Amino acid sequence: MEYVASLLVLIGLYVILASSFNLIIGFGGLISIAHPIFFALGAYTVGVLSTQFGLHPVLSIVAGFVVAMLASFMLSLPSLRISGDYLLITSIGFQLGLLEIIKNLDFVGGASGLGGIPNVVQQHRSLVFAAVALGLAVAVVLGLRALVRGPYGRAIQAMRDDELAFVALGRNAMNIKITIFAVGSGLAGVAGGLYAYYYQYLTPDQFQILQSAMILTMVVVGGMGSVYGPVVGAVLLLLLPEAITFLNLPSSVMGPLQGLIFTSLVILFLFLRPQGLVPSSKRLSAGGGHE
Amino acid sequence: MSNVLSLNGVCKRFGGVVVADQITLDLKAGEILGLIGPNGAGKTSLFNLISGVFPADSGSIALQGRPLSRLPLYARARAGVARTWQHMRLFGSMSVLENLLVAPTDYPGESLWRLVTAGVSVRRAEQQARERAMHILERMKLSAIAGANVNDITFGQQKLVGLARALMSQGPLLLLDEPMAGVEGAAYETMRQIVREEAAAGRAVCVVEHNVSFIRDLCNSAVFMAQGRILERGDVATLLESKTLAELYFGQ
Repeated sequence: MEYVASLLVLIGLYVILASSFNLIIGFGGLISIAHPIFFALGAYTVGVLSTQFGLHPVLSIVAGFVVAMLASFMLSLPSLRISGDYLLITSIGFQLGLLEIIKNLDFVGGASGLGGIPNVVQQHRSLVFAAVALGLAVAVVLGLRALVRGPYGRAIQAMRDDELAFVALGRNAMNIKITIFAVGSGLAGVAGGLYAYYYQYLTPDQFQILQSAMILTMVVVGGMGSVYGPVVGAVLLLLLPEAITFLNLPSSVMGPLQGLIFTSLVILFLFLRPQGLVPSSKRLSAGGGHE
Repeated sequence: MSNVLSLNGVCKRFGGVVVADQITLDLKAGEILGLIGPNGAGKTSLFNLISGVFPADSGSIALQGRPLSRLPLYARARAGVARTWQHMRLFGSMSVLENLLVAPTDYPGESLWRLVTAGVSVRRAEQQARERAMHILERMKLSAIAGANVNDITFGQQKLVGLARALMSQGPLLLLDEPMAGVEGAAYETMRQIVREEAAAGRAVCVVEHNVSFIRDLCNSAVFMAQGRILERGDVATLLESKTLAELYFGQ
C-alpha cells in the first residue's frame, strides 16, 4: 500500500511537471530544457521557508510558485528577446549555473543537501500526499485544457503558425511567450514544493540534466502539444522502471539501464511516432469553434 | 482633409541595397493610392517600413499626426495600421473564422492575468469579435466556409481571408500587398467591391499591384516607384501612359 501510494505521489508530481513543461515547449514552442531548475527552486524555497522560518505549508508552496515564476523572467526576458534558439543554450547554462550556486550556498545545505524539512502530515502520510499530488495534477491538466481551448490557446496556436503575421495583427508575441514561460515554470515550482514536503530532503543532484531528459522524454513520448499526452508519458515512464525493478537486477545495472531506456524511447519515438502516443488535434476546437 | 498617413524623407538600406530613398508621401482618408513599379522597386519594403516589420534608418512616419517611427510592429497595428501580405501568411492550422478571431478588436486574453481576472469581459469581447468576423465574412461571401481549414479553400478565397483578417482592425489605414495576384472571377469582383467600400467608409488604402486594370479601376492616384525612390505621383491614367514607366517596366 505504502509502495503504491508513494508511486502515486510521484505520478502526480511528474504529471504536473510534464504538463507544465508541455505548455512551454509543446504549446508555446519555446525550446528550453531548464524545467528542473524551476522544480528545484520551488523545492528549495519550501525547504528554506519551512526549516528556517516555519512557514505554513500552503504559504510556502505558494512562495515556491512565485519564486519559480520570478526566476523564469531572468531566463525569458534576455533570451526570448534575441531569438528562439538562444533560449535552449541559455536554459542549459541557467540550469547548471543555478545548481552550482545552490551547491555553494551554505544556508540551502550546499552540495550535501538540505534536510530537516518538517513532516506536515502525521497520519496516512503517503496517502494524503498522493491525494494532494493527484488532485493538483488533475487541476493543472484541466486548467491547461481550458487555457489552450480558449482565445488564449488560439493566440498561442496562431503565434506558432506565423509569428510575423500574428504580431502584425497587433498581438504582443513577446508578452505571450514570457507569460507562458512564467506559468509553466511556476507550476514546476509547485511540484517542487510538494516534493520537498514529501521527501523532506533535497540535494542539487536531483535536478540535473538527467531530470531534464526525464521530463522531456515524458512530453515527447506522450505527445507534444496535446493536453493528455504528457499525462500518459509521465505515467508510462514512471511505471516502466518500476516494472524493471521486479526483475531483481543488481543496482549497478539498474541505473544505466534507466538512462538507456529513456534514450532509446526518445529515439524510437522520433522515428516511429514523432507525434507521440497522444497526437495533438490539429486544432482543439475543430470546425471554427462555434459555441 | 487631414492626412491619415504621412511619410517624410524615409530612408532604409540593407548593406549596399537601398530599398527606400527619401520617400515622402501622404495619404488621405477615403483615398485609394496605387503603388506601382518593377519588381525590387521597394514597394513591399515600403509597406514593411510603414507597418514596422523593420525600422527606418531615417525620416518620419506618422499616422493621423501620431509618430509611428519608434513603435514596434504590434504597437503600430494597434495604432491602426492594417496590412495584408503578398503570400497571405494565414494561420495554416486554423479555420477561416479562427484566422479572423486571432485579430481581435480589443485584444482580450492578451495577458494571462486578464484572462483569469476578467473572464466575463473576455467572453464578451470574444462574442463581439465573432460577430464582427462573421459580418466581414458575409460581406465577402465567405460565411459558408467559415469553419473550413484555410488550407482547404481556393487560392482566391485565401486571398479574401487575408483581407478579411486585416479588416478586423478598425484602424484608418489599410495596406494591401498584391491583393489580386492570382485572383480571378468572383473573388476578383468581391475584392474590388470590398476595397471600394472600405475607402468609401473613410479608410485610407494603399495598394501594391501589378494588375493594371485593377489599379485603373480603383485608384484615385498612383505612385510610381523604382530602386527605392518615388519617380512620379499623379492620376492613374497619366501615370500609366508615362514614358519612364513603360521604359522601366518593359526595359526599353
